[in-house]
Amino acid sequence: MRWATRAGVHIDRAACAWLIRRFLDPDAEFVFVADPADVPADATPFDLQGVELGHHGADCSFETILRRHELTDPVLWRIAESVHEADLDDERFDAPEAPGLDVVLRGLSMTGDDAHTLAVSGPIFDGLYEYHRRRLLLGREPA
Amino acid sequence: MQPWLHLRVSEVWSPCSPQPGPGEWVLLSYRLPREPSGPRTTLWRRLKRLGVAQLADGLVALPADARTRESLEWLADDVLAADGTAGLWVARPATVAQERELATQMAAARAAEYEALAEQCHAAAGADPGERVRAVRRLRGEWRAINRRDFFPPPAREAAAAALRDLAAAVAGETAPAAEAAELTR
Repeated sequence: MRWATRAGVHIDRAACAWLIRRFLDPDAEFVFVADPADVPADATPFDLQGVELGHHGADCSFETILRRHELTDPVLWRIAESVHEADLDDERFDAPEAPGLDVVLRGLSMTGDDAHTLAVSGPIFDGLYEYHRRRLLLGREPA
Repeated sequence: MQPWLHLRVSEVWSPCSPQPGPGEWVLLSYRLPREPSGPRTTLWRRLKRLGVAQLADGLVALPADARTRESLEWLADDVLAADGTAGLWVARPATVAQERELATQMAAARAAEYEALAEQCHAAAGADPGERVRAVRRLRGEWRAINRRDFFPPPAREAAAAALRDLAAAVAGETAPAAEAAELTR
């Protein structure tokens, strides 16, 4: 399937793309557009103005996708807290890693194109997932 | 005109406006129903967090970049979702003077926030150790939040940074077992 999002990938779009590829559509192909009107007819838009999989109420797009696709994995919801804070910084959640994550993604967007940002950030989210998975299992910080 | 502001306006913006003169701003025009008041309050809080300049009733502006534009786009969506009307514009002030006035206003608003932050740092310096540790944490968060909406850093920024550094140094330099223990068991 094809998925379309706004060009200039930062934390929310990078996290969404990872989520889509890992949990919704392993063969996902991503298209980056400057204007919502440029979304190809066969692509599902996300993190774009006026689309279903965007910001809604207090949610960032990552949280919206989790809700719309009924993904209840608590590890993903913990990652959602980081993404929310890195993207919106409204102190809704306690996610001390969020400002660091935001800086890393911002830096990536300066040194490569959007495909590069997704290629590099994918393994970072894999690592975050594993870390939070172990933390939840152990009930404390994993080594 | 403060010389530091002049410098900011002409230099910070050169990347997006190669010709000299005013830079690009992104504007959100919006109209929300009077009732219910919930969406109005939420919008007001979000605009405040972004540090917008209020140009008129229902019209706010931020210096244009990918991030400010995206932030205002999401707010436009919020307004539409609350049965209001909203428009997003990219515009250039017609004169450098008009842009400077806007920048001065925004810098003054941030300066007030930095001054309040510095004052809280000084006040916290006299608090007990446990309270001081918590104050550093809270004030650092506040510092980051002000920084994010600071597009024309005023001199007060440096004073606030120094006050925060002093407070953090006082906390770190303390023979701190008591403070740290208090923090860990909190």
